Amino acid sequence: MGDYALLYILFAPFVGAIALIFVSNRQAMLVRGIAAGSAFICLLASVYLFYAYDHVKGGFQFVQKFEWSRQLGISLHLGVDGIGTPLVLASGILLFAGIFVSWHVKDRAKEFYIWLLILAAATIGVFMSLDLFFLYFFYEMSVIPMYLLLGMWGSHTKKYNEMTDPEGLKQRDSVGFIFNFGSNSKEYAAMKLVLFLSAFAVAAFMGILLIYKYSGLNTFDILVLREHANLMNIPVLGTTLDKIIWLLIFFGFASIAPLWPLHSWSPVGHAAAPAATSMLHAGVLMKLGHFSIIRVAFEILPETTRELMPIAAVLCMFSIVYGGFVAYYAKDTKYVIGYSSSSHMGYVFLGMAALDYISLTGAVMYMFAHAMATGMLFAMAGWVYDQTHTRDIPSLGGLSNRMPFISGCFVIGCMASIGVPGTINFIAEVMIIVGSWNKYPFQVIVAVVGIVLTLAYLFKMMRGLFYGPMDQKYSHAHDAVSAVDRLPLLIMITVSIGFFFFPMHLYNVVRSGVDPLIAKITRVVPVAAETTGLRLEARGDNNTPLADRSVPFASAPVSGGRP
Amino acid sequence: MNFSLTMSPSDLLLLLPEILLTVWLCGILIVDFSFPRLPNEQLAYLSVAGLAATLGCLVWFDVTGVAGTLFANMFVLDRMALFFKMFIVGSTILVILASVDYIHRFRFFRGEYYFLIVMSALGMMFMASANDLLSVFVTLEFSTFGFYVLVAYLREDMASNEAGIKFFILGVFAAGLLAYGISLVYGETGKLVFSDMKSAQATPGLAIGFLLIFGALGFKIGAVPFHSWIPDTYHGSPTPVTAYLSIAPKGAAFAILLRMFFVALATFKPIWVLLLVAASVMSMTYGNIVAIAQKNMKRLLAYSGIAQIGNVLIGLAAGTKMGNDAILFYLLTYLFANLGAFAIIIAVSEAIGSEEIDDYSGLGRRSPFLAFSMLIFLLSLAGVPPLAGFIGKIYIFVAAMKEGLYVLITVGLINIVISMYYYLIVVKKMYISEPHDPSPITVSGPIKAVLYVCLAGTLVLGIYPQPFADWVVSATMMFSGLADPAVSLPVPPAATPVGG
Repeated sequence: MGDYALLYILFAPFVGAIALIFVSNRQAMLVRGIAAGSAFICLLASVYLFYAYDHVKGGFQFVQKFEWSRQLGISLHLGVDGIGTPLVLASGILLFAGIFVSWHVKDRAKEFYIWLLILAAATIGVFMSLDLFFLYFFYEMSVIPMYLLLGMWGSHTKKYNEMTDPEGLKQRDSVGFIFNFGSNSKEYAAMKLVLFLSAFAVAAFMGILLIYKYSGLNTFDILVLREHANLMNIPVLGTTLDKIIWLLIFFGFASIAPLWPLHSWSPVGHAAAPAATSMLHAGVLMKLGHFSIIRVAFEILPETTRELMPIAAVLCMFSIVYGGFVAYYAKDTKYVIGYSSSSHMGYVFLGMAALDYISLTGAVMYMFAHAMATGMLFAMAGWVYDQTHTRDIPSLGGLSNRMPFISGCFVIGCMASIGVPGTINFIAEVMIIVGSWNKYPFQVIVAVVGIVLTLAYLFKMMRGLFYGPMDQKYSHAHDAVSAVDRLPLLIMITVSIGFFFFPMHLYNVVRSGVDPLIAKITRVVPVAAETTGLRLEARGDNNTPLADRSVPFASAPVSGGRP
Repeated sequence: MNFSLTMSPSDLLLLLPEILLTVWLCGILIVDFSFPRLPNEQLAYLSVAGLAATLGCLVWFDVTGVAGTLFANMFVLDRMALFFKMFIVGSTILVILASVDYIHRFRFFRGEYYFLIVMSALGMMFMASANDLLSVFVTLEFSTFGFYVLVAYLREDMASNEAGIKFFILGVFAAGLLAYGISLVYGETGKLVFSDMKSAQATPGLAIGFLLIFGALGFKIGAVPFHSWIPDTYHGSPTPVTAYLSIAPKGAAFAILLRMFFVALATFKPIWVLLLVAASVMSMTYGNIVAIAQKNMKRLLAYSGIAQIGNVLIGLAAGTKMGNDAILFYLLTYLFANLGAFAIIIAVSEAIGSEEIDDYSGLGRRSPFLAFSMLIFLLSLAGVPPLAGFIGKIYIFVAAMKEGLYVLITVGLINIVISMYYYLIVVKKMYISEPHDPSPITVSGPIKAVLYVCLAGTLVLGIYPQPFADWVVSATMMFSGLADPAVSLPVPPAATPVGG
């Protein structure tokens, strides 16, 4: 595979989806086989990509470039750096696991796998795009499959099914998407998700178009734009243009992350989605937001990032605390996990806001770690729902007798989500906390409170689901016994624990992507000097107020994940 | 003004597609009268054969670079005219194929239906070549004449008759505006040919004259505030005619608009940009917001068509070579997506006899192929990657962005989100709602052919737009005076001027 690894990863799911169109739904095993096969190729290639990525060399590797539109200056420019590589790997793992989690989908299984594969492929496309146009292209492309996945295979919340007046149901579904916040139908969730994300995506696209126009380079290529685009000091509307572009891009992409005031689509969407979709959604789709901010705002507007990133430092506190409290009081398993995800994404924003080598590395590692942890939790919540047909925590209980394997895995999933030593989440969390302490001590305290909250709501949910007295009507529920059902959980657990004991490669890869970014953001580097000896300069230059606080390269730990 | 009618054979060559189609048109009529027992499908395929021959001829012209003018510049054949002629002939072929099944609803005059469709196509082909105000008037009325009859073709249907009356009255009114505008412009400048008006002085009479002409053309394309005939006419007319009406006349009218704004009025650009910005913002916003409330598929597409025209006007307002390329590209994407959607409406109404959105419930179970195609076409209209409509919209936005039309782009982007809502409502009905009646729906051969062509067009234009972008760039080469020097343009084949 070699140089073409990215093409395999990106196009294997697409080819699988196209192949599935020509298969009949009656051949259930063939349908699953094609889906699993293409996901397996994607997974293999992404594992290869992860280990073949040369972290000593750094930069963008496995680059592929095909001219796509001469008139608009667009090319299909693919490549991964140390930040994209682990996220591609996470997508590959979650897609493969997701296929097995949804093995028992009966209704229109073929269509389900087609949309799931397209969703995953589009997500992966964002992680490897080096062209602003294609970044938006894949981003927007990942939103529409969510609508169909939620709408066709999703589920209503308990409250919705109890609503009896048909007229009320109708109104909630049609015009209710703006005014009625009480509706919890899956149609409502799907529509809200798509409109919300599209609305913010077009804001980000406006920012992209402004970059395109004012750079005057007639190209969307990120590598060209970050070297040659000069967007600073253009006065417009009483402020400068770079600030407007940055805000458009930041809030446009932060909506999918989801940052606090823009989060409301996310838990509703999680709750309505089928298990495999929730996994991909919380595991990788949400990371599109952070990743796109890093790829666009950090790369092209480094100085503005340094100036405006405190916004994220303020908002992330609300994310962490608000998400944590709502998760504590939520009664629906998927709401708990959904709000916990949105709370945990606040840590990533904190790590990004500190603009420090350690904290940003921690943030990227946390994205990877969180993908595994939340993937496990959603997979198991989906299993419990399939067995009991309810997600209402108070009505459940004592399931550990019926499903010992699942409850065992659930404990591990909670541990991972909390960040207990033994899982990669611990390393990532500690790096975020240590890295941000110098700059944002107050936020770090809030983050620690958030960890305590995580502990509280996850244990509360675990107790509610698996311990205590069991309602006899759930006595028919059974455990995940077959290899197909256990495989996805075992994969995610192995990855989560394995990287705790062997974090070095992950750390080095991420670090090789983070270093040049932070070096560029924390110092004003003339364009010419940047190509030569970046590392030496980064160590020597302490003139700017931020650089002296950042950990220089030489003293960064090179032999251990935990500083 | 003097022109001679002595034409050389090389002059006639320029008119070859039109002559061919005229002869074929008479042929269709003769066959229809001579063999009354001939099945109507045969007549449809006969018309398609003639149109295909015409299309082949146009492609040959485009490849070999035949170009020139006739009748003292009244008729011009350049690459843009060829593009629009291919556009019109292509859409006519698809419409005729889509109406093969529908035709049994007409109690009388089934053969004349094809005759009228092809006659309108002939009129619009002349529209694409019209280069002075007189030929604009004549060709516009010639093409609309066929539509007046076609819209009211369902004689027993009150809605169709109402649509016909509405279309006729407003159409004649627009013709009056056009004639009055032309007389004012002629009175002010003493010129009729577009290229002779370049040096015209801005007088109130000239401004009012061109405003009236723009009104008449705005009526053709259905831009706000000239849109009022669109919903009822689209709703009432036979569905294939609606499909035809929603594509071909808009393309032909844009050929005239492009010539008018960029050749005759190039010096007044700062003024007409404001006019176009206003029309564009109103069309997009009005079309999209009103479309949300629609319960009928044809009305939904009517309002979405108004909004789409607003999008095209963004490209016109950009006022650059690139904007014109974007318009041509966008119209191509619109052709496939819109005709495909109408073909599905025809197929569904043949099966269940309804065009209400509510009756599309569970289409995903009743006919996965139809539902999937509808999904693709609607998402393309909404502008979702990787479909054609997305690239069309991006092309237009980039062209407008280069001219700094920020307000227009912002409105356009917001409207993408609004339009997504009502397109997704249809998707929800098709895929999420359960069917009222689960019996499967079968699709006939000709409709399938139309759908395959439209699907292929929508996907190929979206995934690999480069060859089509090159095509539209070379088609608008005549405007290269407006070209952005940063854009590298492929060199077109050298034009061989013939006639004169």
